[in-house]
Amino acid sequence: MKKLLMIGLLSLAPLMAQIEGDFTIPYIDFPVKKAKGAATYQANCMMCHSLGYIDNQGLQSKAFWKGKVEKMMIHFKAPITDQDAKTVIDYLYANYGNGKPK
Amino acid sequence: MERRDFFKKAMVAGASVAVGSSVAQAGETHQPVDNRKVSKVAFPEKRPLIMYSDRPPLLETPREVFTSRLTPNDQFFVRWHMPNIPTHIDPDTYTIKIDGLVEKEIEISLNDLKTKFEQVEVEAVLQCGGNSRSAFTPVAGGIQWGSGAMGSALWKGVRLSDVLDQAGLQKDAEWIGFNGKETAAYYETPNFVRELRLEELDDHVILAYEMNGEDLPYLNGYPLRLIIPGSYSDSWVKMLSKITVTNEYKHLFFMDIAYRVPDNDCECETHEKKYPTTKPITKMNVKSVIGYPTTDAVVNKDSHLVVRGVAFDDGHGIKQVMISVDEGKTWKEAILDDGRAGRYAFRAFRFSFKPAKTGKVTIMSKAINKLGKEQPFAKEVKWNHGGYKYNGIDEVTVTVI
Repeated sequence: MKKLLMIGLLSLAPLMAQIEGDFTIPYIDFPVKKAKGAATYQANCMMCHSLGYIDNQGLQSKAFWKGKVEKMMIHFKAPITDQDAKTVIDYLYANYGNGKPK
Repeated sequence: MERRDFFKKAMVAGASVAVGSSVAQAGETHQPVDNRKVSKVAFPEKRPLIMYSDRPPLLETPREVFTSRLTPNDQFFVRWHMPNIPTHIDPDTYTIKIDGLVEKEIEISLNDLKTKFEQVEVEAVLQCGGNSRSAFTPVAGGIQWGSGAMGSALWKGVRLSDVLDQAGLQKDAEWIGFNGKETAAYYETPNFVRELRLEELDDHVILAYEMNGEDLPYLNGYPLRLIIPGSYSDSWVKMLSKITVTNEYKHLFFMDIAYRVPDNDCECETHEKKYPTTKPITKMNVKSVIGYPTTDAVVNKDSHLVVRGVAFDDGHGIKQVMISVDEGKTWKEAILDDGRAGRYAFRAFRFSFKPAKTGKVTIMSKAINKLGKEQPFAKEVKWNHGGYKYNGIDEVTVTVI
C-alpha cells in the first residue's frame, strides 16, 4: 500500500509543474449540416478527426473533396468502404461545394 | 445585432473590393481573413484563441498579439497533424532514442539533456507554411488560416549536433528522421515523421524543452520539440521521441505530398494547370504583420496613433519595415527594435501616425530583408495549390472619427 502511494506521488510530482492531472483537450461539438448522407459522413470522418477540420477547408470542388476522401483511404488507411466514400464525397460537395466539378 | 453587424461588414468589404480594383480577377490573391473571433472555449494552458478544430487541435493567435517581439506561451498558435496526443507525459522517465546509422544506438533521458549537454537558447519565429492561406483564390486546400498561425519565442534546449555526436554518425549518414508521439486513430496510418538532410542541419537547430522561460506548453510539444530557425514549422516535430539516421530518403506522405510548392522559380501554378513537380516549402520568405491597430478599430482624428507590428524572414535579417497610409503610393520607414534578439526572431516595429482626416484609412506594412527582398502586394502573390508561403503586404483598415 505504502509503495503504491509512493509511486502515485512520484508520477504526479513532475506534472504539478506543468498541468494538474492528465492532459485533456476539450471536445467541441461542431454542428452537422443535416442533409443526405450526414450519418455516413459523421461515422466515417469523425473516427479520426473533428468536423471542424472539414468546416475550415473552405468551399471546394467535387474533385477536391474526392481527392480528400481518397487521401484518407490511400495515405491515411482509413477503412472507408467504396460505397461510403461515394456517399461522403456527395455529402461534402453538396454542403461544402463551390459548384465546380474540378 | 450580430446579423446587422454581419451585413455592415459584408457591405464594407464589398465596397473596398470595388475601390481597390475595378476588375476583380478570378484567382487574384487578397488579404487573408481578418475578423475571426476567439473561441469561447480555452484549450489547456491557453487563453481562448481562434479555434478551427479540437481533434487534432488547431488554434490561431489573434492579430492584436503581434505588437511585441515575443508571443506569449498562452497565446501561441497550435497545429497538430494527428488526433491522438498522449494525455500523460512523465518528464522524469521521458527519453528520446537515437538509432539507425549511428555508432551506438542510445536513449537519452530528458533530465540528461537538461544536465549533461551544453544548454543553448535561440529566439526564433515558428510559422505554419499555410499561415494566411485564406488569402488565396481559388480557395487553396487546407485550413483557412488568417495571419496568426505564427509566433516567436525564446527556445532553450540542446544542439541537435551535440546529441548526434553522442551517438556518433556513421560515414554514410545522410538523412535524419524525426518522430513525435502524436498518433492517428488507426494503427496503419503513417506516423508524422519528418526527414531532413544532414547538410541542412546547422548548429542553430536545437531540441528545446523550454519556451519563453517556461516548460513547453503541452500543445506546443511538451516536453521536447525540434527547433529549426528560419524554416516553416512543418518540420519542428513536437513531443519528439525518436531520431533515426539513414543513408536514403524514405518516401513518406508528409514529406512527398504535404507541405510542397511548385518546383519553379515563382513557386506558382494555376488551378487549371498544376505544375508537375514540387519541392518542400523549407525556408520562410519575408513578411510583416500589423498588431495594432486592428481592422475595424475606431481612432480619433489628430490622435497620436502608434502602429505596431512584427517582421521576419528566414534569418537573413530584416533591414526595414515601410508603412503606407495612402494605398501604397508613398512609404515611410518604421522604427525597428534593436535587433538584439537575433536574426531568426520577430523584429518589432512601430510607426507614429497622426490621422488628419476622418473616414476610412488603410495602413500597410511592408518588410524588406537584408538581401533586398521585399513583400509584394497581396494581389501580386501567385497561387499554389496548397496555399503556402503567402507573404503579401499587410493591411488594416481603421475608421478615423
